Amino acid sequence: MGTAFFELRGISKYFAKVIANQDVSFSIQRGEVLALLGENGAGKSTIMKILYGLYKADEGKLFKDGKEIKIDSPKEAMELGISMIQQHFSLVPAHTVTENIILGNVQGVIDYKLFREEIKKLAELYGFELNPNDYIRDLAVGVQQKVEILKALYQKTNLLIMDEPTAVLTPQEAENLMGFVRDFTAQGNSVIFITHKLKEVMSVADRIIVMRAGRVYGDIKRAETNELELSKLMIGRDLNWVTKDDRQESLDQEVRLEIKQVTLQEKTGVPALKDISLTLHKGEILGIAGVSGNGQRELCEIVCGAILPTKGRVLVDGEDITERKIRARIDLGIGYVPADRSSDGMIMDMSIAENMLLKSSYDKKWQKRGFIDKKKLNQYALQEIRDYSIKAPSPETIARGLSGGNQQKVVLAREVDNGEKVIVFDQPTRGLDLGAVNHIHQVILKERAKGKSVLLVSTELSEIFALSDRIAILYKGEIQGVFNSAELTTEKIGLLMAGFREGEVSNDAG
Amino acid sequence: MIYLLSATIMMGTPLLFGALAEVIAERTGMMVTAIEGIFLMGAWAGFVGGYLSGSLIVGFLAAMLAGLLVASLYGWICIYLKQHQVVTGVAINLLVVGLCSFLYRVIFGVPITPLTVNPLATIPIPLLSEIPLLGPILFNQNILTYIIYVLAPLSYFMLYKTSIGLTIRSAGENPEAVDVAGINVLRVRFLTVLLAGVMGGVAGAFYSIGFLGMFTTNIIGGRGWIAFAICFLGNWNPKGAVIGTLAFGFAEAIAIYMQSTGNSALFPNELFIALPYIMTIVLTISRKSFSVPAKLGVPYVKEN
Repeated sequence: MGTAFFELRGISKYFAKVIANQDVSFSIQRGEVLALLGENGAGKSTIMKILYGLYKADEGKLFKDGKEIKIDSPKEAMELGISMIQQHFSLVPAHTVTENIILGNVQGVIDYKLFREEIKKLAELYGFELNPNDYIRDLAVGVQQKVEILKALYQKTNLLIMDEPTAVLTPQEAENLMGFVRDFTAQGNSVIFITHKLKEVMSVADRIIVMRAGRVYGDIKRAETNELELSKLMIGRDLNWVTKDDRQESLDQEVRLEIKQVTLQEKTGVPALKDISLTLHKGEILGIAGVSGNGQRELCEIVCGAILPTKGRVLVDGEDITERKIRARIDLGIGYVPADRSSDGMIMDMSIAENMLLKSSYDKKWQKRGFIDKKKLNQYALQEIRDYSIKAPSPETIARGLSGGNQQKVVLAREVDNGEKVIVFDQPTRGLDLGAVNHIHQVILKERAKGKSVLLVSTELSEIFALSDRIAILYKGEIQGVFNSAELTTEKIGLLMAGFREGEVSNDAG
Repeated sequence: MIYLLSATIMMGTPLLFGALAEVIAERTGMMVTAIEGIFLMGAWAGFVGGYLSGSLIVGFLAAMLAGLLVASLYGWICIYLKQHQVVTGVAINLLVVGLCSFLYRVIFGVPITPLTVNPLATIPIPLLSEIPLLGPILFNQNILTYIIYVLAPLSYFMLYKTSIGLTIRSAGENPEAVDVAGINVLRVRFLTVLLAGVMGGVAGAFYSIGFLGMFTTNIIGGRGWIAFAICFLGNWNPKGAVIGTLAFGFAEAIAIYMQSTGNSALFPNELFIALPYIMTIVLTISRKSFSVPAKLGVPYVKEN
């Protein structure tokens, strides 16, 4: 193998007293694709941020071509040929592609014409379709990612680090990205990508580093392993996966929720939702698939009453609730687990018990002579903590101190109780580790078994397939089609998510 | 009429100094809410420096230094200690009011007649000032006005055509992008706040030694806030700031004109004095589209 291109030796990193990385050592060769696999919080991003100079390691050494190096800032990393694409892109939405790419790479007066030409040529070289004059805010996420890659290429990078690069892409876009990774490494460059998706790892990586709880638990060639072994290494135990076989047949065919020709006009004049019609039966899970930002949030908020549609009606059990206020809908039995729990789902500086009270604080059952009946509330919260196995010492624990998965369980517990008839889940498992994901999936299926109706928005196709009875695909605010989940393949759904219409897609496409 | 327009340009000069300073700093995400205090400190230091040394140049240098000091205090608290920009600014503004009147008394006691210096003289520019109409309006002004003629287009060029400008604009929109590009966000922000302090100090001194020739604690009277508002109204763009400044300068010129002619039979004088402030409110609520820097007022905290 010769000398490694880059090598990390005995890296440890502590945040306050929490161990983020402990004694992490691995190397990357020239021309290699290395996958960094692990659950959320396993320390994958942290170790890469150390290599990129964003974080400072507390212990350990870095080497390039066998020589020890110091990387104290991204600037120094870039000078060594390292670029990193963050999970949340670091692009300036209000600026053009050109301005974003040259930021930090120019001095003095800027000759925009020259740079535009340069960037155009570079984009053509890699087969990226990009207009250097476009504003980032107008570009789709997949294209924004190309801008990030181009930014790295512009800096003549030899080691490209990508943090969860496919999380925001359609399956076809992801495939294109993998194509680029192969081209790029064929020229002797190296790529490290951080992921928790086993399938991706198996399709593109040459070697796999498995991380768990801040340590390396495996350094394996792809050819010498399989998905089962990797998942065991990653989680540290076996998981009982929810599969389709665990589900009962849909019990009831009675219609619960109807969305009739709903259109939502945005201030800009572009409709966020266009003529949407969906029905949701009792005891049914309707999955809404699509790349995020295609109207999912708006659809959820129309159902729970946070926004009013410009046109169309929403009915529950045949009753028109289009004009009903949020509180009336809560009373009616509509629960809503929003995608962003920290800003829309809970109040971080309040206790678990208080967060459980949030959407029913006006209810007489919590009151005792005009004051909150603390005793009763705490009892209730304690019961929920047990039922949902929330890891917290008491109902008085402040929400901020909980892990993401446990915070999500608090929101889930509240909304499952609120939603006696309909529960809307918007990305219920985003950013959670596999254990928590599994638990939440079981809760969703349990509620379905009770006859509740579930609207499940997710960008993770595996989640959609694992849970949904029927699947609707949302693209640019329009429904591309509604299917029984058995009728769909990943390829077909990918094309529908990318904007192709049903007639244009056959099942063996892609 | 010529007098009015000429006064518009003159009274607009310090406002534009302040507004440009504010535009540049706010583009990095820093609302310089201490601008009123910076103006006042500049007015005080300009007067003290000018009076004691007998030289207006020393006065203006003192004003720049004073503005720099106030700005560095503000910048340190808001940028490095990550405190709230509005709260910090208000606190500093109150502090400066007390400090100025205290220090004025410590140095000069309580004089029976107000102390004065000779304010900046107008410098007619040969030939240009003889152009009919435009000449006396534009080219019979004091040195600071001529400086701002250069500074305004220069700041536009700097913001939109240079790498420094790109960094400044990016810092206010997405500081992480700047950080990842290997540029120190906090330093960028701090330096622009310091620049705002220097420019604001000059603007303040314009009122004391550039125009009135004396100092009182209410000499600024909210003009720092007007410069602040002009930045908003001008959509964070030097071009917009120039237009906004002309409008406010005109309003102020009318107020001064009416005061000096004593022609208050039709309208009470106070109305004209209040005019710039009323305009601020009306224009602020009537504007429809803003292109606010996305991270304006948000401290940059690295997640390390």
